[in-house]
Amino acid sequence: MKTRRDFLKSTALGAGALSLTPYLSAFGATAPANGFPKRFVFIRKSNGEIPSDLALPTFSAADKALDDKKQALEVDLDKHELPAWLQSLEKHKANLCILQGLSSRMSENGHFSYSSVMGAYKSNANSLSGIKRATIDFELAKLFPSPFGHVELSLLGDYTKFRTGIVSGYSASGPHQRNYCYADPQTAYNELFRAVTNPDSVDSDNAMLTFLENDESFKEKILQGYEKLKLSNHIHSIESIQARNKKLSQMAGSIAKYIPKIGKIHADGGLTASSPEKQAAMTDILIAALVTGLTNVVTYTIDELSTPIRGLPGNEADRISIHSIGHNGSYSGVSANKIRDNIRTGHIREVARIVEGLKAVPEGKGTMFDNTMIMYFPEGGEGHHGLGIEAPFVILAGNNCKLDMTGRYIRLPFHATEGHKTIGNWYTTLLNAHGNPIKHYGDLDLDMSRLKLDQMGAISRFTA
Amino acid sequence: MPSTAHITFLNRLPIKSNFLAAFTLTAMISASKAIAAEPAKFQVDPVAGQILEQYCIDCHEDGTEKGDVRLDNLAELTLDARLDMMNRMHEKVHFEEMPPKKKKDQPTEQERKQLENWLAEILHANNASKLEDKLRMPNYGNKVDHDKLFSGKYKDLPGYTPDRRWLISEFIFDAKMNSLLEYTGQRDIDGKRYKVIGDNGRNGVKVNLTNPFLLPTQSGVRYYDTTTLDGGHLLTMLTNAKELSAFMISRAKNKTYLPAIYSIMGAEWEQDKILADRATYLNANIEPLLVDLFKDKHDSLLPKFVATKPAPPVTIGPDGKPLNLPGFDYAGMSVEDRDQIWAAIRRYSQDGKMDESMIVKSERDWFNFGLSERELIVRVNFMRIYMDEFFKRMPKPNTNVPKPPAEAELAVMRAALLKHRKAGDNYIAVIAKCMTEWSDGFRSEREKASITEEQISKLVDQLFTKIIERAPTSEEQAEYATLTKSYYQKIGSEETIHKLIQTIILRTDFVYRQEFGEGNADENGRKMLSPRDASYALAYALTDSSPDKELAAAASSGRLNTREDYGREVLRMLKNRSQYYIVDDAVERIGSDSFTNMPIRKLRFFREFFGYPRALPIFKDNKRFGGDYITVSGRAVSEADMLVERILEQDTNVIETLLGTEDFYVFHSGNNEEMAKSSAYVRKIYDYFKDKDWRNFDGLKLKEHLAFLKENEVRGVNPDVVAKSTGGKEALGGFISTMSSYEDLLGKGQANAVPFSSTPGHGKTEGQTRTGTQLRGPEIAKCFNIDLKNWNYPTTQPTKMEHRKGILTHPAWLIAFAANTETDPVRRGKWVREKLLAGSIPDVPVTVDAVIPEDHHNTMRTRLDKKTKEEYCWGCHERMNPLGLSFEMYDDFGRYRTEEFLEHPDNLIKKMPDKGPPQDDLRDIYKTLPVDAKGQLVGTGDPNLDGDIKDAIDLTGRLAKSTRVRQSIIRYAFRYFMGRNETLSDSKTLIDADLAYVRNGGSFDAVIYSLLTSDSFIYRKPITN
Repeated sequence: MKTRRDFLKSTALGAGALSLTPYLSAFGATAPANGFPKRFVFIRKSNGEIPSDLALPTFSAADKALDDKKQALEVDLDKHELPAWLQSLEKHKANLCILQGLSSRMSENGHFSYSSVMGAYKSNANSLSGIKRATIDFELAKLFPSPFGHVELSLLGDYTKFRTGIVSGYSASGPHQRNYCYADPQTAYNELFRAVTNPDSVDSDNAMLTFLENDESFKEKILQGYEKLKLSNHIHSIESIQARNKKLSQMAGSIAKYIPKIGKIHADGGLTASSPEKQAAMTDILIAALVTGLTNVVTYTIDELSTPIRGLPGNEADRISIHSIGHNGSYSGVSANKIRDNIRTGHIREVARIVEGLKAVPEGKGTMFDNTMIMYFPEGGEGHHGLGIEAPFVILAGNNCKLDMTGRYIRLPFHATEGHKTIGNWYTTLLNAHGNPIKHYGDLDLDMSRLKLDQMGAISRFTA
Repeated sequence: MPSTAHITFLNRLPIKSNFLAAFTLTAMISASKAIAAEPAKFQVDPVAGQILEQYCIDCHEDGTEKGDVRLDNLAELTLDARLDMMNRMHEKVHFEEMPPKKKKDQPTEQERKQLENWLAEILHANNASKLEDKLRMPNYGNKVDHDKLFSGKYKDLPGYTPDRRWLISEFIFDAKMNSLLEYTGQRDIDGKRYKVIGDNGRNGVKVNLTNPFLLPTQSGVRYYDTTTLDGGHLLTMLTNAKELSAFMISRAKNKTYLPAIYSIMGAEWEQDKILADRATYLNANIEPLLVDLFKDKHDSLLPKFVATKPAPPVTIGPDGKPLNLPGFDYAGMSVEDRDQIWAAIRRYSQDGKMDESMIVKSERDWFNFGLSERELIVRVNFMRIYMDEFFKRMPKPNTNVPKPPAEAELAVMRAALLKHRKAGDNYIAVIAKCMTEWSDGFRSEREKASITEEQISKLVDQLFTKIIERAPTSEEQAEYATLTKSYYQKIGSEETIHKLIQTIILRTDFVYRQEFGEGNADENGRKMLSPRDASYALAYALTDSSPDKELAAAASSGRLNTREDYGREVLRMLKNRSQYYIVDDAVERIGSDSFTNMPIRKLRFFREFFGYPRALPIFKDNKRFGGDYITVSGRAVSEADMLVERILEQDTNVIETLLGTEDFYVFHSGNNEEMAKSSAYVRKIYDYFKDKDWRNFDGLKLKEHLAFLKENEVRGVNPDVVAKSTGGKEALGGFISTMSSYEDLLGKGQANAVPFSSTPGHGKTEGQTRTGTQLRGPEIAKCFNIDLKNWNYPTTQPTKMEHRKGILTHPAWLIAFAANTETDPVRRGKWVREKLLAGSIPDVPVTVDAVIPEDHHNTMRTRLDKKTKEEYCWGCHERMNPLGLSFEMYDDFGRYRTEEFLEHPDNLIKKMPDKGPPQDDLRDIYKTLPVDAKGQLVGTGDPNLDGDIKDAIDLTGRLAKSTRVRQSIIRYAFRYFMGRNETLSDSKTLIDADLAYVRNGGSFDAVIYSLLTSDSFIYRKPITN
């Protein structure tokens, strides 16, 4: 029997059209089998990440030698100290994995990688046509639907000059689809928690949709066949958005319970707020977005090269260009390396706050963090002008996460050698572990291809 | 369709006579009753049963079940399973795919029709027919029999397109957005500034729009009327609508943009402007105002200054070495900080010198103004660290002193300052208090006013005109006025306008093109397109924009009512060369030109049909290419576009030339004169130095040639550096690098140099694009097997290239139809079969693992043969492989070859360097095997052309001569311009288009003219149940 679903399927697939419904697929929001969704937080940082800076200071001589030579290595964290900049994660070591040895050669790398580092493709600078596929965060969001489906936050642009507001994001819901993202805390707050902060605005949205629904329904009645279906599809789409708005309104109580307080300094975009203040506010919003159930997937660009750093401990009075730090510029007598260290120390402090924020919220027999995975990683590989030979990941995962990797420092075989793994393998691992059986996500590494080295599929040691 | 007699098709016995007996002996009831009686016993129409029995049952009964299909047990199936089977039958019967062509015993046309009618009736009655949907899909386009279409037998069928809504394309979306944003991109082309359409970067427009109407990326025709708006589209449009409404309201502050918005918001905006002017004036002049107002008391009312005392800047690190300070331009300074520091220097510096007192005075000023401690320290630090730079870069004072406010305004400000200034207040605090008072006062005034009926009416009218590009009907006017009032009561004036704009943008008639017939129907039930819809249909056929002025005027003045009217407008638009378009922003981003001034959709047809732009997203390895591949991919596509454009401009034997040309652009801008100049420029420099001992120059020796270097910019050589007293030591590296490049390009006696240098730099010293940027990607020459070190560069192009014939041998096409690391004969062959021979290839069965096995001891051909020559695969592959394998004479970068590299570490013969200048080939060398590019052409219908082929050159030469190929391309052109598949009732349209091409010397303009004035384009017919 042909249904509207068949019709949609045939029209979309027949035309080779793109699936543009990651947001909408979230509206059904049926709870997964165990009753709780998995959550994912992707934190992108700029300026690369120097792999040796993640090495454990208490490595044995043998392990250090292996690590220095970039040879495969696995060490339990509970027997070691973390590097100073990761100290905020000390009490979460059991949930921590320092994952070294992944490569991201097939993404853009260099100063900016745009959406490519989360899609495992070359993005042709930042052109729309360069966006080859839905990024990993959107793929995961499809598996764990929520009212917002996916939320992207960032601290992009010179927020000291103008309100950054809503800007083009780096995630992609599909090929050639650029996401939008909330780039200052107040905007993110207003948009995400609108059901509580501005119910009139939600009401007026609904009034508009109702009007449109009635208007198009009237037109639909006088049509036949295929043309009728086009309009009924339009109406169905309106209804879906109304259903989401309704659901959001119903969640107002829950949202109100967890809604964070945002300092007055963030009003009008927070032009005078310091970077740590901005980051702290974004963390509060990020935690609340997850805890309220508005989304299960957040991507957060905590900084990029255009982000001025202000109020950094040790450089309180400077207005630091991350690009200059990448080129070894110092400020106020503080060397570039030290500033780099201070910046990421601040990042990790925020990561720890997310972990603690989620651990504070009960869920089932544990906490929300049990079902959460946080990844902190560089957008451009192993340095300011990274080539993607290495892309270190700092991963925090709760007890119910389906991957066997926490509590360890893991170095995978080096790029273009037997057993090496790419971000494509890593993202495939995430997808396979959570219900998407994709054979391989992302473009292949051409150095590996040329050497005829196997590089397909998930990283089996993590899924075992 | 017989309606009286049906036979139970149940309990079929394995013996044919019994089967027939069952037909004749069972009680007959009407088909309609049978349908109504579902799920009662299913019965088969006796005529259909006879046809099935005669032609199908032998192969599809219990025991044979070819293809796992049984037709003798339909009644035993569940309803869904039966309907599914009947849909499959329907498709096979309709497309004449069954019985197989090789079977001698074929049903007559009438028998086929009878069987199809029965199947269709049952399926429709159950709302289960899928054929109609499939017939609309692009991959079913070739299912209509080619010979029938062009036989002439169906040319009397009346052509028409159903009334339709057609979802806008990604290109139309962008054009609509640019129109609403009043954004026009610009480019310098051949030294002149032009407005361009299709620049969607929207520099300077702070609006975040997402294009939800992206077309699929397949080659062929991408834009069909079958796509419908889904939730993803709508949700994205909701966000877009919010962005647009914010922009439009902001833009309406210009009174001419949308005066109705201004009439509602004007008072508030005037007040905002007054507030902003006051704030600006106070920020710049508060100190003299306060001094004037408070005179002697002023100093005592100032806040108590506490110097920040920042630590002196540290320039030496703990290791005793100087710290690397960021350069002035990269230090992270804000424009405001920089300008204020310059202002302070101007105010306090003594004789252009800096001293500490100047910094203290500046800091005190900023403190009094109200800067925070952090902001003060930032400025003081910047002053101290970069003082020399500040002096050096000091801009000229701005002589445009703003006009002071009117005396009445000054009086208001003075009064407020007097009222609000308290002891210890910094200036920011005083200004804030004044602003609050004024702002509250204005708001209170506004709250007393209300929106009028007339304002609402004008608002609805103007928004409809702006967004939908027509006035609202009276019903719409009334409906939207009511809506506006309901918004206004709840959310106030500005939010109401936001919502109204969003509502109109989300209407179906914004996101769908409307194409409906109007007026009296002819004897076939067809109506001509309404003039307005026709104007859009014509405009969107050739461009992405709404109708231009002439077309809109023709529609509104009754001059778009006849075929001749259509023809007049089509010719006018086809001739127009006054408008430039961006062809592909992705090409531009890689650094190559991508523009045209022919109607964009004419060029786009061929670039999409051939599909060569798909070369861009193919991720390929620099090492395997042997150089910088990414830039080359952009150049390849850009030069393929240039070639297609040139052939279309000549408009003679277009199809034959596209498929058969031996002339190509290779590292060329398209401007012969400029390329000759560029090449001569390289020669001039080379000739000047070549006989000098330039390799052993030192700085002073180079300086001897300063006059020449000043007159002739040499890449990597800054004459100012050369002019230093010590000579140009620092410039030697660039000089020798550039001369070495030039030596490579001219040292073997070449007449002309390839205009490039391997010296890195930002200058534009050698070849330039027509838009005035550096011509990039000289390594495209490698794709044509040209050795850059031994190339007598042809400055006039296109020019003959060895081993090439037509677009299908262009590197862009060959890359687009290749895999990441190897060729793809299957896709190449499939493309030729489907696009040029009007053939069909079924999708790969889900049970097939369509991967060619790795085997580094054999060629691609051998590996492919091993995999696909099994009977199960060969049925389809015999239609692709013999065509696609002829392209094995090129590798996956489009390089001609007679030997195939067996790329595997085991076969590595020589490892080449990973880095080198563009003129070096950095490919690793592997063992090889000879290439066999032989193949077979079957399917042109012409015995002179079909047969064994030597290679791709042989193939393309034959294809260029084929009538079927020409007609196949015309079928694709039909789909492109109509947005749908052809049917037999479009037979006349296709024959006419083909004849127009032939009779006009192979003019593609004639094809377009013919299609856009055909019945299929002009007439519409309502869809009925």
